[in-house]
Parts: sequence; structure tokens; C-alpha cells
Amino acid sequence: MFAVTTLIAVSFSIGSFRIEEAERPFLYSVLLWIILTFSALSGLARSFVKEEEAGTIDVLKLSARPQAVFLGKLLFNLTLLGALELMIVPSFILLMSYQISFPGFFIAVIISGGLGLGAGTTIIAAMIARASTRGALFSALSLPLLLPLMITCIKGCERAAIGISSAGWPEVKIAVAYFVIMITMSLLLFPLVWEE
Amino acid sequence: MFTLNVSGIGKHYGETLLFRDISFQLNRGDVLAVAGWNGSGKSTLLRIIAGLVRPSAGQVGMFFNSEPIPKESRRRFVGMVAPALSLYDELTGLENMEFFCRVRGTACNRNDCLDIIDRVGLTEHATKMCRDYSSGMKQRLKLAQALLHKPPLLLLDEPGCNLDSKGIEVVQEIVSEQRQSGMSVIASNEKREADYADRVINLSE
Repeated sequence: MFAVTTLIAVSFSIGSFRIEEAERPFLYSVLLWIILTFSALSGLARSFVKEEEAGTIDVLKLSARPQAVFLGKLLFNLTLLGALELMIVPSFILLMSYQISFPGFFIAVIISGGLGLGAGTTIIAAMIARASTRGALFSALSLPLLLPLMITCIKGCERAAIGISSAGWPEVKIAVAYFVIMITMSLLLFPLVWEE
Repeated sequence: MFTLNVSGIGKHYGETLLFRDISFQLNRGDVLAVAGWNGSGKSTLLRIIAGLVRPSAGQVGMFFNSEPIPKESRRRFVGMVAPALSLYDELTGLENMEFFCRVRGTACNRNDCLDIIDRVGLTEHATKMCRDYSSGMKQRLKLAQALLHKPPLLLLDEPGCNLDSKGIEVVQEIVSEQRQSGMSVIASNEKREADYADRVINLSE
């Protein structure tokens, strides 16, 4: 809902013709990733909080290996994020008349960025689940952790839109590396977060 | 043969001391009751044994054929029922059992789940959503969940909570059958539940 509301608000207030053509690739990339990141943060933050509030977290702790719980939550979050991207990205392109010169590279940035975003928000969601000031803590932890990924993905989408040679696809490589590092670190750290 | 060895367990929250220096050993067939005033730490002691809470002092040892069981493997040996534990309201009773079978990696099928549901007297309600269960039915389902993987150690925190007379008989049967295959620790202030036990630890003393 947040994603749809933001997308409509952005497309109505900015539209496709209010921005200079030369500035569009960069500004559209920024807007797209702001919508995607904040939609992900608003939805995925609740993946562990829901277990905590429902009182099911202890039964899960008594039943499943911590890594299995983390991977299950990650899979759910990635599926949700994938559905969100499938809905938001085409609508954004359509509503904003977003011209993309390298569609393959653009799709790769969206997918790899989504993977990194999902991995980052899942471990942060686990960390804040038991805190009393969840909202503030989630923002404070997300900012430094997700900022490098956001900057990389914005740059990648801008390059895909402008059509600068994408030889090597560095932004995709960085986002995939971020995803791998996040997963590895999370699998090592999650058992500590999961315990009291 | 599974044994539980609790030695020198203590717990405090900040400056508030709940209990200290609790030690006991349980072998197959043993039933221990933990009694005490409200807030004396009965539930906390059970949560410490289950591995859900870290003790401030002492340690909980679990052994299988005298070999220590590593902490990460202990969940296979423990079944727990407690007022604070909830099952998934958006699933049916049967779906809850099947879900916990799968997450535990237990080799149990639908019939095993139905058997355990039957054992706690919920057969007629197995396909009802848990959100539609009464508090007594939820308590019975919690008992079923705790027994699903046939754990040698059963931790029962207020097991008779919300149960009718038939439900209380089910608890009695479960504790009695557990003597054949393992041991139980019951936290309760009900004299009836303390009577199931061979030993009583009073945390208020």
C-alpha cells in the first residue's frame, strides 16, 4: 500500500515532463530506489516482530534451527520484495516515461539490489524484534547498512538509463557481493540474535 | 538414556534476585514439581532449562548415554508447554502440528499428527482454525505440540491452565506415560499437579 501510494504521489506531482531530460536518468533512479527501499523497510521490518507479538517466537526457538528460521524469513521477504518490484518497477517506468537504454543491465540491477535489500532488512528485522523502540532502532540500523547498496543501485539504474557502457556490470557485482556478505554474516550472527 | 543435570542455577534481573543455587538431577521416570509464589521464578527456571533464557549463574547439562548434548541439539530432547507459548492462530490445529513436524525435521506424517491430536482429545476440532479455539482447546494443542517429537524431557508450566476435568485427566495421563520414556518438570501452584511429582522444589523458600 505504501509503495502504491508513494508511486502515485510521485507520478502525479512530478510526472514525466517536469524534469529536464538530461536530469531524468539520475532523478528517476533516485525516486525509484527511494520508493523500493522505503516500501521494503515498512513491510519487511515486521517479519520477526509479528512472531514476537503473537507469542509464537518461543515455540519456533524450541522447534527449529536458528539458521532455518532465518532462511525461511529471508525467502519470505525476498518473495514479497520480488512481488513488490514486479508491481512497482513496470508501473514506475510507465507512469514516468522512464527511458532505459540497457534493459538487461537495468533488470539485473533491480534483481540484485532486491536481493541485497531483502538480506539487509531481514537481519535488521531480527535484531529489532525484541526492542521496545523498534521503529527508531530499525531506521537507525538500516541507514548505515543499506545506504551503500542504495547508492550502488541508483548509480546502476542511472547507467542503464543513460546507456553508458555497462561492460563488467560493476553495480550488479557489488550488489551481488553485498547479498553474499549479508547472508554469510547473518547466518553466523543470527544464532546470537535469536538467543536471549 | 537421557539425564538432566541442573547445577547451581541462579537468575537475577538487575538487582532483583529471583532464585539462586538451584541444583537437581533427573533420570528416566522422574517427575519434579517446581512450586513458589507468583513471581518467584518458576516459569523462568523452566525457560532456563529449555534454553530460552540464559541463567545468571550455574549451568544446565543434558546427557544422552552419559555423553553431553550440545546446546544447539537440545531442542530435539525438550518439549515445553507454557502460558506464554502460542501456536499459529491462522492455521488449523492439524496444520500447526504438520508445520512443527516439518520445522523440527521430525519424520512424522499426517496420521502421526492426527494421533497426537486424538491423544489430547481434539480430533473433532483438528481442521478448525486455531483462532476459533477456546483457551482450553489451545492448551490441549500446546500439549500436543510438546509431545509431537516424543521428547525425553517434558517441561510443563501450569499444564492444567484453562483445562476442564477431562483435560486435566489428559495431563495426568501424559505425565504418567512420560515416566516410561523420560522425565517431566512441572511448574505449578496447584496441589493436584504437585501430587504428580516425586520431588518438589519450592522457590519461595
